[in-house]
Amino acid sequence: MQTIIPSTSAAFKALLRADFSTQWRNRRAVMLTLIVPLTILISWKGLVSKLGGAYVLSSCIAIGLTAIGLMGYSNAIARDRDKGVFQRLRVAPVAAWSIMVSRLTVQLAMIVAVTLIVFIGGFYFDKITITPQGYALGLAVAFIGGAVYLALGQAIVGLIKNPETVNVTCRLVYFVFIMVGMFGQLGMLGEQIGKAVQWSPYGTVQHILSSGLRPETWDIQATYALLMTFGYAIVFAFMGIRWFKWSSK
Amino acid sequence: MNNSILQVDNLDIFYGPFQAVKKVSFDVRPGEIFGLLGPNGAGKTSTLSAVEGLLKPQSGNITVAGYSIHDAPLYARANIGVQLQATSFQPELFVSEVIQLFAGIHGVDMPKEKLHAFLADIKLADSASKKFSQLSGGQQQRVSLAIALLHNPPLVLLDEPTTGLDPQSRRQLWVRMEEMREKGHGILLTTHSMEEAESVCDRIAIIDHGKVIEINTPEAMIEEHRNDPAVIAASRRGKITLEDVFIGLTGDTVRS
Repeated sequence: MQTIIPSTSAAFKALLRADFSTQWRNRRAVMLTLIVPLTILISWKGLVSKLGGAYVLSSCIAIGLTAIGLMGYSNAIARDRDKGVFQRLRVAPVAAWSIMVSRLTVQLAMIVAVTLIVFIGGFYFDKITITPQGYALGLAVAFIGGAVYLALGQAIVGLIKNPETVNVTCRLVYFVFIMVGMFGQLGMLGEQIGKAVQWSPYGTVQHILSSGLRPETWDIQATYALLMTFGYAIVFAFMGIRWFKWSSK
Repeated sequence: MNNSILQVDNLDIFYGPFQAVKKVSFDVRPGEIFGLLGPNGAGKTSTLSAVEGLLKPQSGNITVAGYSIHDAPLYARANIGVQLQATSFQPELFVSEVIQLFAGIHGVDMPKEKLHAFLADIKLADSASKKFSQLSGGQQQRVSLAIALLHNPPLVLLDEPTTGLDPQSRRQLWVRMEEMREKGHGILLTTHSMEEAESVCDRIAIIDHGKVIEINTPEAMIEEHRNDPAVIAASRRGKITLEDVFIGLTGDTVRS
């Protein structure tokens, strides 16, 4: 009997194919990720001239990214951990990092999909157009924003083992992000909350997205928001990796 | 020269101040079914997790086919086929996709024809496009075992494989295990069924409170303890069985 160690790329390809198939079969969850951004795009049609197209698009993308990180990724990780899916993979000759990188690659594809659908929806429903540089930079910034929410989702599954509790916590955080974030930024919850929201993970991501979609408006405040975004991503990722357990038992 | 396929030496595992496994040593040879028996909380799962590489022991050595699970984990794990206790595949994947996933991970080429033959071999030719969660318990067990064997590993770890199976499926699995033994695979089996251990195991280790109490063949173990007062007291029908010996050695107190 000969010892065969598959190449990392072959093992990664097998993992990626399985993870994409899983995501594809979870189309209902994908639709839920898209439903809130698309509803906002449609319902804010009359506000586009007042708020600006970039602001509307950036708010929708930020909410879509929040849903990916908090509703999709974290719940899938919590469920598979509870079912022992990770343990079964870890007893195979595959590096642990490749299991997680495969999962994250699928989420990056989701970030691209959500961002492009919001761009298309913005044009279709609200006739929002921006410059090609804006679309390109917006997409690049969406990856950075998405990383914050994926890291936040990772932190939640790192700190909480029970999949039901993870689900409830993620829904709660998602709800708070949408309601407090969006209404706070619009100044509907008072000046103090408005300022707090501005530097929250929701506010900084929305800010860099908004500035990214209009590169000519990028200023020092946007750079601070970008640095804060990196900071959040690093802190949440550290928590998520440091306390993550492969098994919920 | 040591010809064991699995060698466990002086294994110590702690959970905080609690020592779950104390200087456990045993080996599994090619073409042997080795049973690891013990009451709940005796240290079986911890020992098995350490062999699988899922848990890092505080001290001791584990080698699989000559590879240290600590120093060369990928090589060691490439020589192990594992069937875990719980259902452990993504429920959205079809049976064929689960098989292809693990074939890819183990570097086994699995074209369509080979996949069909693979499924036909486990009598699931019609289930390729069923989701794993839609299979019955016995069918899931067959898929799980077949996946554990698809890279032809010299060592197979079976963690309570017959739990929840009907008698027919259980007997079928025993036949499968015996076939694996004939092909030269070494099998490490954990089970709570003394009937199973007595029927299929060549040697067994009884582990309790983290320590190996005894290693022997089932027949020799029964013979050796036939006249122990605790074993005689445990006997329910006059004839001494492995279960009586097990109760005699580990006590009749229910473990949590």
